[in-house]
Amino acid sequence: MSEPLLVLDNVTKNYGAIEALKGISFSIGKGEVVALLGDNGAGKSTLVKIIAGGLEPTSGRMLFEGKEFLAKSPAEAKAAGIETVYQDLSLCTNVDVVANFFMGREITRKFLGVPVLDEPAMEQVVEKALASAGTRIPSLRTNVEHLSGGQRQAIELNRFVHFGGKLVLLDEPFAALGVEQTRRGLDMIRQVARQGIGVVIITHIMQQAFQVADRIVVIRQGVVAGDVARNKTSPDAVIDMITGETLAGAGPAG
Amino acid sequence: MRQPDQHMNPRTRRALEFVLDNLVWFMLVFVLVVFSIAIPNYFQLGIFANIIEASSVLGVMSIGLALVIITGHMDLSVESVAALSAMAVGILFCSAGIGLGVQLHPEWLMVPVSLLIALAVGGIIGAINGYLVVKVKMSAFIITLASYIWVRGLVLVISGGRSAQDLAPAIRWFGIQRLLGLPLTAWIAIACFVVFSLIMAKTPFGRHLIMIGGNETATFRAGIRVNRNLVIAFVLAGAIAGLAGWLLAIRTSGATANLGVGLLFNAFAAVVIGGVSLKGGVGTLPGVYAGVLLLSAINTAINLMGLPANFTQVIHGLLVLAAVLLDAFKQTIRQRLA
Repeated sequence: MSEPLLVLDNVTKNYGAIEALKGISFSIGKGEVVALLGDNGAGKSTLVKIIAGGLEPTSGRMLFEGKEFLAKSPAEAKAAGIETVYQDLSLCTNVDVVANFFMGREITRKFLGVPVLDEPAMEQVVEKALASAGTRIPSLRTNVEHLSGGQRQAIELNRFVHFGGKLVLLDEPFAALGVEQTRRGLDMIRQVARQGIGVVIITHIMQQAFQVADRIVVIRQGVVAGDVARNKTSPDAVIDMITGETLAGAGPAG
Repeated sequence: MRQPDQHMNPRTRRALEFVLDNLVWFMLVFVLVVFSIAIPNYFQLGIFANIIEASSVLGVMSIGLALVIITGHMDLSVESVAALSAMAVGILFCSAGIGLGVQLHPEWLMVPVSLLIALAVGGIIGAINGYLVVKVKMSAFIITLASYIWVRGLVLVISGGRSAQDLAPAIRWFGIQRLLGLPLTAWIAIACFVVFSLIMAKTPFGRHLIMIGGNETATFRAGIRVNRNLVIAFVLAGAIAGLAGWLLAIRTSGATANLGVGLLFNAFAAVVIGGVSLKGGVGTLPGVYAGVLLLSAINTAINLMGLPANFTQVIHGLLVLAAVLLDAFKQTIRQRLA
């Protein structure tokens, strides 16, 4: 494995008496695509939220680029270089495409010392970003509420590709996409990984995991039930890990 | 079913969207034209100036209310906050009644000092509201309803139910001095609308408020400091209500314990008529100003026609109802357009 980008060491999360995560340890390398698999309620989304700063872990620690890391808010995680695409879309449908693309990091110029939105500059960037990804949206100035599910997801995906960062977390990013758009999305992920960015993708679809991931991590009942290189396992073995039929497929961590 | 919208060419669609976005302005023009034709003596510059003049206090208050509603929250306390600010200014700078008649030298110094006091009183109550909403995570409706009651109570307590009269002439000057036919107080309201419209439309702060109203979770995940922005919005709403109170004190040359009662519902009506959605995230301040002017135009018409003033309330209520229905109707049309 390449140099580790993020290391999770025995991360737990309790909701009162319920242990959502009982101690998760695995790592993600630079330029590596890790598929995070597991049944509903296994704790995948909780884990993603902890890394992304939306939730604080009950115990355990994380190392990001070799340094102790704990994001107290999404803003902190973002500042550290962690981008997240959530399963329920994180778009404001009451504003236009450009405003959504730049949400929280608008380009501004100073006018009499006051920061003013630089709309033409932002529009140009979005136009370029969407064009290079082959996403067609009729007008960047239409409010997102008028766009289809696929177009909305494309905005989110293009957003992380554009802003990059160091680690990207994708929580079921293709749920609303068609076949062609999904293929393009998977290409995007490979392209992002080639730039040395680490990618964690949560998915339910085995085929997608095997298409895009370097490594497959299976979470079951709040623990890591398997951590194997993609080319050393098979979909059937992974399904067994997810359902708990066997732990035999679990290879050495890392 | 036939779907005529699919055949609509882009130009008609754009025209229709423009009309929908600025519907309240068309309504205002329509109402003014109808009144000018139907009511003798309505069509006069003096009447129009009066419409603008009479709407300054309400207009300023509506700005603060609109800001908070656009972020998806609520501020019912603006009316009481304005009254408290007016009372604070009244007690300090009035010379009769319960006024202490504080004198400052030079005299003009009383203007910035009284203004700062009014803004500070409002800002503090706004900060309390904002803190409770953000930190204690209680519903803004309940918290500001409580403020609406206790702040009015505070006005009664500090005034003992009595009034202050004869505001210092240096401050009253703003209500008397005219520029292009309008008193300076009206210009202050107009300036507020211009400044806050620009803030909402052109700055990242305004953009963030609109997006928070649209999807608070998304803005939080995007790294926008939602809580900080919300507290600022509440503080602004309070301070703006304080300014409205200052204008109110000037207009009445003092303050009474029940000053401004009923303004909240007029402000509410103006905001809703102006196209601000109570669900948050939708609405612009120019629209709110048109809403304020619309209410004022109708009031003036009622006065001119010699109808009993009690009719105003009935009409305002119906207008709010119409505005809410219109909002729903607009959304249906927009969905068809999409």
